Amino acid sequence: MNREIAPGIHWIYEAGSDRTEQFELAERKPDWYESGREAYVPQCAYLVEGDNETLLFDTLSPASTDQILDAIDELVGTRGLDYLVVSHPDVPHAGNTYAILEEHSETTLVAPAYGNDHELYKLDESLQVAEGDSIDLGNRVAEFHEATFLDAPVSVWMTEQKTETLFPVDWMGFPHLDEESLLFVDELDGTFDASRLVEFHGRVLFWYQYVDVEKTNAEIDNLIEKFDPEIIAPAHGLVIRENASEYMELMKDVTQTIDNQGRIGTLG
Amino acid sequence: MTVSVTPTVKWVAQCYDHNEKHEHVSLYLLEEGDDVVLVDSGSFYHREKITSEIEVATDGSGLDAIILSHSDYPHAGNVRSLGGDTKGIELVASSGSPEQQGLPDARKCSIGDRLNVKGRTLSFIDPPLADRSHTTWIYDHSDGVLFTADGFGNYHEPNQCGFISSDFDEMIPAEEIYEYHRDNLVWLRYVDPEKIEKALDSIFTEFTINAVAPVHGNPITGKDVDVYLSRLYETLSRIAAEYDVG
Repeated sequence: MNREIAPGIHWIYEAGSDRTEQFELAERKPDWYESGREAYVPQCAYLVEGDNETLLFDTLSPASTDQILDAIDELVGTRGLDYLVVSHPDVPHAGNTYAILEEHSETTLVAPAYGNDHELYKLDESLQVAEGDSIDLGNRVAEFHEATFLDAPVSVWMTEQKTETLFPVDWMGFPHLDEESLLFVDELDGTFDASRLVEFHGRVLFWYQYVDVEKTNAEIDNLIEKFDPEIIAPAHGLVIRENASEYMELMKDVTQTIDNQGRIGTLG
Repeated sequence: MTVSVTPTVKWVAQCYDHNEKHEHVSLYLLEEGDDVVLVDSGSFYHREKITSEIEVATDGSGLDAIILSHSDYPHAGNVRSLGGDTKGIELVASSGSPEQQGLPDARKCSIGDRLNVKGRTLSFIDPPLADRSHTTWIYDHSDGVLFTADGFGNYHEPNQCGFISSDFDEMIPAEEIYEYHRDNLVWLRYVDPEKIEKALDSIFTEFTINAVAPVHGNPITGKDVDVYLSRLYETLSRIAAEYDVG
């Protein structure tokens, strides 16, 4: 399942499993959930087409190897895939790296420069990128950034300058209901419920339960000032293409809420 | 090399060389009668050595179960090569979505669970120090060993690869504990250290811990735990204090 989110930027979507039972949604009844519906926390990869070169950001999970290979073929065709960027070597993000490289010998593997054990992830021979590094794809540039809110130390975020899109990987994910797959947030019915963000971050960024709220929210202010994006393309949520920085502001409430109520559970 | 931590827990010590310093990427064997349970499977990087160590440690009979603290590659890199995808070896993993983690046939363990694996009673604990969200710490009720991936690590000198904590002149150095956690649990820069101390104190109060078994550090004997915790708490405060958001 794919959708173009802006000219030349394609959203490749993997639903994963229905989370209704795992999250005990019928029993807990969080504000964002509608009784009887299925709920998903997707894995998302993004393909960026420049005039000269193409770039894929993340790979989907090993449960979707055929899907990502087919999507690459469909989207880049005979142009080939020039760069595969692995945001971090976590299985749902990087699990198809070698399947893609086997099919696409033309592709350069790009990995975070952060962390100190790249050999353990078979990333030691990759092109390694850090804050300020960029890849010129022709009429557009992918720029790389130190990942702020993360799990693995070997992590990197990305922006695409032409559309001012921020790819914040594991930050700003959230669940969605069954019929909301591949919708933009502005296409959802009603007002976006911030409790969706709490549901995700209270599971995936488990360490939010231990943070200094004031310090963490000051960092969110720094991110808003630094990026002020037009589009936010998370790895585990729907794409935000209107008032994006306002959703980053919402993350300060998320920090406070998780500090108050603690960890919700796991995702995996 | 294989080192006894407690009467029935053996440490299969493996190291990654960071030039001047080493970092462990280890695994542990639990011996329960004729059965052997492996905690974590190590990195593909050490596959030959690990396979050989397990062959010797089990007298060629192999493993009966593998338990994964989480599915990060340096912990789950040898599941298949050690037979974790075969019917003869039970695979237990903490993932909430095993298909997405590449472990579709694993028996799931969740935080808060207490499971019997090959006669061994194990509790799965919410880890205050970890990287991936689906990580569990594992407490072995038989020998009182707490497996703490990815917390309680440390770097070490090249001649200290097989040391347990009591082999160091003055226990595991504070600076090695600090540098490991600074580099590997990057999110510690945002924490309120007291919140993590409170969570750790709760675990160490609830469980009788005779040894701490980290994947990325030297095992810590029961009598050294208090010193380690003191140094760890200093580490948490130092990391948080050193990071200024401006």
